[in-house]
Amino acid sequence: MELLRLAIVLFVINALTIGGGFAMLPLLQREFVNHYHWLTNKEFIDAIAIGQVTPGPLTVMNAFMGFKIGGLTGALVAMAASYLPCIIIVTIVTKYYLRYKELWVVKASFAGIKPAVVGLLAAVLLFLSHGEVTDPVTKGIAVVSFTVLTFTKLDPSFIIIGAGVLGALVFR
Amino acid sequence: MSLRKIFLVFLKIGTFSFGGVYSMIAFFERELVEKRKWITHDEFMESFAIGQMTPGAPIVNTGICIGYKLRQLWGALSATAGQAFTGTVLAILLAAFYLHMKDNPLLQAVMKGVAAAVVGLLGSIVYKMASRMITEYRSALLALGAFMALDLFRVNPIAIMLGAGVLGFALYWRD
Repeated sequence: MELLRLAIVLFVINALTIGGGFAMLPLLQREFVNHYHWLTNKEFIDAIAIGQVTPGPLTVMNAFMGFKIGGLTGALVAMAASYLPCIIIVTIVTKYYLRYKELWVVKASFAGIKPAVVGLLAAVLLFLSHGEVTDPVTKGIAVVSFTVLTFTKLDPSFIIIGAGVLGALVFR
Repeated sequence: MSLRKIFLVFLKIGTFSFGGVYSMIAFFERELVEKRKWITHDEFMESFAIGQMTPGAPIVNTGICIGYKLRQLWGALSATAGQAFTGTVLAILLAAFYLHMKDNPLLQAVMKGVAAAVVGLLGSIVYKMASRMITEYRSALLALGAFMALDLFRVNPIAIMLGAGVLGFALYWRD
């Protein structure tokens, strides 16, 4: 039952989210952490880090969360449920692209969803930072990470791994 | 184009592409348009546009679209499987390791630093998205409204997104 629920949640979230991998985080956080309690907030943040340091899209974090919920089967169910709606929708859109492109209903709705996603992500960021950025060292790491990633083109993986090494040295 | 070839090229793309959307897009174009000439530059740009205007991760969707153009549904499935393979295997291995070592103080110290970096990363993503998408008062109000609905009133984000879609329709249909 748990796996079926996992599949439905991921299917719906992937079918509805416009605006990139990060746009899914508010929805994932709500369902996985607040609603079903499959993960703690801390584990959710760790899942984001895993999704970021592994190659390929951030969606890979769903395999990590699926594994926590249902082992290997859970991870595979999570990936299938995440990709299935994309495969269905993209193949249909590719077939009817020229007509879909001109659909003003889609265009106007997306114009509304995209800024809303920014607001949602900001709220989740605030929520996630409460438990994690508490002392001068973590505050410093967060500020450096923000600054470097905003103003340079450095791969986020380096920042995350660097912060992990620093964490090992400081907090142990 | 055999399905095996599609799988292998996307496996390469999925394995060696780090660093966000734009470096991945450049890698796609180099492999598929310049080196192998499987699709033209215009077809690639169209695939990228479709990837961005469909739900889900744009990179994944661009791959699905190209796979579909090459060999219909089986091409789309091969491209997806190839692109997701390495990341998924690594994520599963890391998950097994993480759950096994959960109470290890060294791992906890590492993840404490990592979590702070993720907060900074998300801040940077919000900043970049905001500077690109919030361009006039309507988009600013939509962003603020969504923020308050989630932060203060704990409305389900799925409902907020659907609501924003309806509002967007009402606000932007004239454009």
